[in-house]
Amino acid sequence: MLQQIIDQAPKFFGYYNVLFLLQAFAATFLLSLAGCVLGFALGFVLAVTRRTADWRLAPLRVVMIVFTEAFRRIPFLVTLMLVFFAFQALKLDVSMFAVALFSVCLIATAFITEIVRAGLDSVHRNQWDAAAAMNFGYLETLRYIVVPQAWKVMLPPAFSFFVLFIKDTALASQIGVVELTFAGKVLANKGFPAALTFGTVLVLYFVLSWPLARFGRWMGVKLAPTRTR
Amino acid sequence: MNFILDFSVIWPRVPYLLGGAWLSLQIAFLAFCGGMVIGLFGAMAKSYAGRWVRSAVDAYVSFFTNTPQLVQIYFIFFALPEWGILLSPYAAVLIGMTLNAGAYLTQVQLAGFTSVHRAEIEAAETLGFTRMQSVRFVIFPHVMRTLFPPLSNLYILMTLGTSMAAVFGVEELTGRALNVNSETFRSVEVFLVAAVIYIVITFVATLLLAGVGRRFFRAQMKLL
Repeated sequence: MLQQIIDQAPKFFGYYNVLFLLQAFAATFLLSLAGCVLGFALGFVLAVTRRTADWRLAPLRVVMIVFTEAFRRIPFLVTLMLVFFAFQALKLDVSMFAVALFSVCLIATAFITEIVRAGLDSVHRNQWDAAAAMNFGYLETLRYIVVPQAWKVMLPPAFSFFVLFIKDTALASQIGVVELTFAGKVLANKGFPAALTFGTVLVLYFVLSWPLARFGRWMGVKLAPTRTR
Repeated sequence: MNFILDFSVIWPRVPYLLGGAWLSLQIAFLAFCGGMVIGLFGAMAKSYAGRWVRSAVDAYVSFFTNTPQLVQIYFIFFALPEWGILLSPYAAVLIGMTLNAGAYLTQVQLAGFTSVHRAEIEAAETLGFTRMQSVRFVIFPHVMRTLFPPLSNLYILMTLGTSMAAVFGVEELTGRALNVNSETFRSVEVFLVAAVIYIVITFVATLLLAGVGRRFFRAQMKLL
């Protein structure tokens, strides 16, 4: 078997296959990055809305709590299928990449809302009260007092979530998005040994994920929060 | 844009889907137990073994935590037959999930072990506890208290992870949802029902685990 892998390797690492794998590699990275950036933006809005005290926003808050609680409990594969078939049922003609991106955003928003919420909660109550005493509005309190202290708490877990998500996007291959796992399947179907193709795909995922995970851990240590009262 | 949800053909198939949910829970439970054993040995090796074993465990953990579970199972399912090891989809999924869980649980259990301070063990010795007594009354309660919340979190995530088995044709909840989908073509409805079942089972599991953690291990867990 090893002999077959060695025989096939030069053909496998030919120009077009490598190009194909690199494009797929970029697609995986872009899908998770775009999902997490959009998810962070939306998650921030959701977490901030959840903390408001205005009774007129109460229905909105309930919807948001249900949204975050629900989507953190649905497997990514089911979310993907749901979004895929919902788009189909609504006769929206969008690319598979857009479907995957939309699902990634849904899940990322739900998870990152919780991360942002934990970050906002990590700022001591006294800081909120002091801001209120100084006649800061809600958004001003966030802008000048809370976020400058909270981002250090939010960023490391958000980053490790991003790394986690690189791996989850592998499921997007199931609806036909051309990313790394899909590329592996295509090459295996072409007749290359499965050990060679999936081994290469595993290594490529590792190459993408490992440095980012290391960087995230380093950042977590670097930004270890100083407790302010 | 005139699309109407029609659940009428789905209701008779809900028991079939629930049977799949039961299989999902089984897979998650088995993989979790296997992962706990691997994690225990991994964490012990990381704490006490020599340099080579430690770096082997490190390599195992960082490889399995940095690559997608799906591709790991692909490798097990499609590449191992080339070496003459033929596995059923169920076995391949279970082995993949167990190895993956083992890597995460090594990290979690190691963190739990290192959270016990030397001073606590010394205090137990000062009070005249035997070794078994200090394990039973000092170390075990402390380790469980710190370990229980991350363990139950991981268990919930693994329950969600079992949906991957559908890709290999294992008929757990997602797999059965795909079957019902191809029988009835009410795709959105089927996956909505599947999603609700996932939400309910993980919600119940969270509540149960938090209750057990608070009652028996004095773990700080929110019930809601």
